[in-house]
Amino acid sequence: MQNETIKQAPLLEARNLTKVYEDGVKALDNLQLTVHPGEIFAMLGGNGAGKTTTINIFLDFIQPTSGNAFINGIDANSDPLEAKKNVAFVSENVQLYPNFTAMQNVDFFVRLGGKSQYKRSDYEDALVRVGLQREAFDKKLKDFSKGMRQKCGIAIAILKDAPAILLDEPTSGLDPKAGKEFTRLVGDLRDEGKAILMSTHDIFRAKEISDHVGILNAGVLVARKTNAELKGVNLEELYVEYMAGYMEEVGEPSALINNLS
Amino acid sequence: MFKLIFIKELKEIIQSSRFTISFAVCSVLIILSFFMGAQNFLASKAQYEAAVQENRNQIAANTEWTMVEHTISLPPQPLSTIVNGISNDIGRNIEMRGRGELRANNTRFNDEPIFAIFRFMDLEFIFGIVLSLFAIIFAYDAINGEKVSGTLKLCFANSVSRATFIGGKLAGSFVGLSVALLIPFLIGCALLPILGIQLSSDEWVRLALIILSGLAYFGLFLALAMGISAMASRPSNSFLIGLVVWIFAVLIVPRASVLISGRLVEVPNVDEITAQKNRYRIQLFNEDRPKMANFSVPDGTEPSEVMSLFSSHMSELSSTRQEKIDAFTERINEEYANKRKRQEEVALGLSRISPTSVFTLASTELAGTSLRLQNRFMDSANEYQNVYSNFMTEKTGQDGGGGFRMIMITSDDQEEPEYLDPNEMPQFEYSRASLGEVTENSLIDIGLLILFNLLFFGGAFVAFLRYDLR
Repeated sequence: MQNETIKQAPLLEARNLTKVYEDGVKALDNLQLTVHPGEIFAMLGGNGAGKTTTINIFLDFIQPTSGNAFINGIDANSDPLEAKKNVAFVSENVQLYPNFTAMQNVDFFVRLGGKSQYKRSDYEDALVRVGLQREAFDKKLKDFSKGMRQKCGIAIAILKDAPAILLDEPTSGLDPKAGKEFTRLVGDLRDEGKAILMSTHDIFRAKEISDHVGILNAGVLVARKTNAELKGVNLEELYVEYMAGYMEEVGEPSALINNLS
Repeated sequence: MFKLIFIKELKEIIQSSRFTISFAVCSVLIILSFFMGAQNFLASKAQYEAAVQENRNQIAANTEWTMVEHTISLPPQPLSTIVNGISNDIGRNIEMRGRGELRANNTRFNDEPIFAIFRFMDLEFIFGIVLSLFAIIFAYDAINGEKVSGTLKLCFANSVSRATFIGGKLAGSFVGLSVALLIPFLIGCALLPILGIQLSSDEWVRLALIILSGLAYFGLFLALAMGISAMASRPSNSFLIGLVVWIFAVLIVPRASVLISGRLVEVPNVDEITAQKNRYRIQLFNEDRPKMANFSVPDGTEPSEVMSLFSSHMSELSSTRQEKIDAFTERINEEYANKRKRQEEVALGLSRISPTSVFTLASTELAGTSLRLQNRFMDSANEYQNVYSNFMTEKTGQDGGGGFRMIMITSDDQEEPEYLDPNEMPQFEYSRASLGEVTENSLIDIGLLILFNLLFFGGAFVAFLRYDLR
């Protein structure tokens, strides 16, 4: 499958993406990455490495200082409305409208995503697929746990049926069972041909599911490995090695290693 | 997309406990205000009718027109049921005289001073204070609350423009809350005829305009709160800012503008003016004293003619004196009225910075209970004074302006005098402003309400266009 998809045009592409904030902090430095259909690209990195900044640029929440982010070949910052038709997003902590039921929330966000052809049964199928109990469908979100909300978020992303999906630390705070279910779902979506860009701190899950792993440090993509290259490799060691190696290069290794540990 | 966000906002409002509580409170307050207003109006109407009847009885109990003490009364305004304005603060009765200055006395608060402290709870109060605060409570976290909860980011991960989003939110909140508020208003309106308040078609139109102005006022606070929400980073901050703005707009600016205008344009108080007039009157009277003392009759005048000559002499002096007093009073009143008008203009101009003042001015104008009510009553009374004066002159030979009066009874066996017919007394009619007049007079304030809406909506819109969605 990988061999076939790599030949296709990337659905997500960061081209020389640089972001310098007003206070002078360089959040991204000439980032280059591509995610093709049927691929999962996991961005690893510590806090402030630039993972969320990358996702925010793809969603046009911030403008890059230079470079471009493309979704299905459309510049996400010059034509964001058109670009966002091709992407679904699941955030770290999915928060939906607390006074709405799961069904009402799914209905609203799916319609907002441009899909109005669905029936209630389609919503139910999606919610069952993500593992939400049927009795929770018509309950208000304010009574939901984080895991349940996350499942609703994934259901919304599935129903939007966009070719690309952005996941911002999606397993953060989930219990192991929920995390495993989530991984399975993301794998299924990849198998359906979606291009998935995921930011995460979860090294093991990244190795388990991703086709590509990129290690970001201070806005720089310091390493990029394919799943095949990671076979038999201790990713945690590799991660620390790359982070430390890069920091030695730039002159601040000890602080970073302490941070990582 | 707009429709989707609009409906979402409607549903979100209606399903929130915030809405349930405030809707219940507002409904009770609105219906109560209609009910209490109707009761107050009926009480005022009964008082007015009693005063008119008492005046007729007083006339009917007399046999001489010179002995009549005629009083005219301001009929209560039907829409004061809804918007009290100054209707409770101005004098309702005027003791009529054939000449001289008229003064209204006996305000509603004379009878019930407790209401002067706590005031009545009318629609102006409910819109001005309660609903504007509810608008802040509803919309203070409309934008930053969604950001904090994360739904904003999720919404904008889709193909939604900011303009559509803020437009849908504003329209959805406004329609959701306004339609909900219209229900108790309609119940209140339906209660009026049941409670015995009969409004003319003209007054129903005015009432509709008052409610529409109120909704425009509510809408501008909603847009203001949403704008603040799009500028402040956290809901707690926007709530505090909203509250401070509300306090300034609702409580401080209207009062401060009156105080400031008092400083900018000094107007002598009524007591000073009255004292000046009294001093002049006494001065003229003292000047006339020697002339009164020097009254003499030619020798051989019949005793019965002496009284008549004396009356004429005194009447002549009194008329000359009154002409001078009238000229002086007119001049001093004009100066006073000009200064007071200037002060009012400054106060109203300054107060219009606040949307609350603008709404108050518009609603009281439409209800016929604005500052013009007093002037209109006095104008009607002054017009009536001429009619009364002519009538009294015709009946008694004197204009009914008071002064020296002497009645001589020459024998005990005269015919029994007849009692007066009160129907002969010309009727005083207060001329209410027409719908056209009040609409024209309130046009500037209704226009300002619309302008405030556009301004605050524009502010919220621009603030949201620049809003950091992360």
